[in-house]
Amino acid sequence: MIGFLILLFFLVAGMFAQQTLSLPIPASIAGMLLLLTFLLLRGSVPQSLRQTTQFLAPWLPMFLVPVSVGIVMHKQLLADHGLMLLMILTVSLIPGVLVCAACMHIGVAAKVAAKEGNASGENDQ
Amino acid sequence: MMTLLQTPLFWAMLTIAAFVLSQQAYLKLRKPVFLPPILLAIVILIAVLLLTHTDYAVYMEGGQYLHDMLGPLIVMLAVPLYQQLKHMKKHWLRIMLAVSCGSLTTVLVAWGMTVWLIGDPLISTTMVTKSITTPVAVAITNQIGGNASLASGFVIITGILGAVLIVPILKLLNMNQPATAGLSLGVCGHAIGTGRALELGETESAYAAMAMTLTATLHAILLPWLML
Repeated sequence: MIGFLILLFFLVAGMFAQQTLSLPIPASIAGMLLLLTFLLLRGSVPQSLRQTTQFLAPWLPMFLVPVSVGIVMHKQLLADHGLMLLMILTVSLIPGVLVCAACMHIGVAAKVAAKEGNASGENDQ
Repeated sequence: MMTLLQTPLFWAMLTIAAFVLSQQAYLKLRKPVFLPPILLAIVILIAVLLLTHTDYAVYMEGGQYLHDMLGPLIVMLAVPLYQQLKHMKKHWLRIMLAVSCGSLTTVLVAWGMTVWLIGDPLISTTMVTKSITTPVAVAITNQIGGNASLASGFVIITGILGAVLIVPILKLLNMNQPATAGLSLGVCGHAIGTGRALELGETESAYAAMAMTLTATLHAILLPWLML
């Protein structure tokens, strides 16, 4: 419960920071960045917070269900453009993933190449 | 029966029941990637809403109980992010490059296709928020003149598509290393993708949480500036 209290404390702190500084990011993201700063300064995760995280993390998708069900509100738009929108969302995902993977892969390839150069040994990939 | 359908707590209970049932089905069916528990739970609940002629607003009075937990849960993402930060420090350039190029590519392609194929300015303006986590997307959509409920729909569909498609795409390319998978899920699948990453492992969820946050922050700053 102390772990959950820590989460609520940083959510409130994030809300306060967002309102006072009129930040463009939402309160929860501001709270996350504040908690991250706290953890970096502390140098470790409090035991209670670690337990809370381990318990709650696998359930995160469940808490996204209510907002997701809101799709039911857009029946007319889905009837008019649904298939086209689904196609656009699906197709546009592919170049995004490819660019992400390519950026990550170029880095790995360069790093492995550098390692090979240094050690003149053989690394897989 | 009619009063039960008006009771918020009933809908909150039904949401949890639908998710737990979907999770059991997911495990029984040996984790089919096209049917994550969240997708089946949504389908079940929409079917119940349609069959009982219940308004989404009535459902959401109960759904709100769960929805309000998203705040603390997003704050909680700092924990896996912190745990992986040491490892990420070495790769910050690669990560920043992947997050900014990847997210802007997918948004630009989606925006361009919407302008070209649908041509409705409201839909295309709303489309640019598709890679941002739902609460941020809704806030930004209002700023740039899109439709908030539409944005939420696009974001959710993108998240589901991302959660379902990203890992198979990466596997096909033989590029499904934990860091790459997590990062792609966070960039292209935001919170739902991050939820999927949590099932995959700690590295994946840390990268997904970080990528989702970086994407949301980047787009929150960049989009209002680009669109106005």
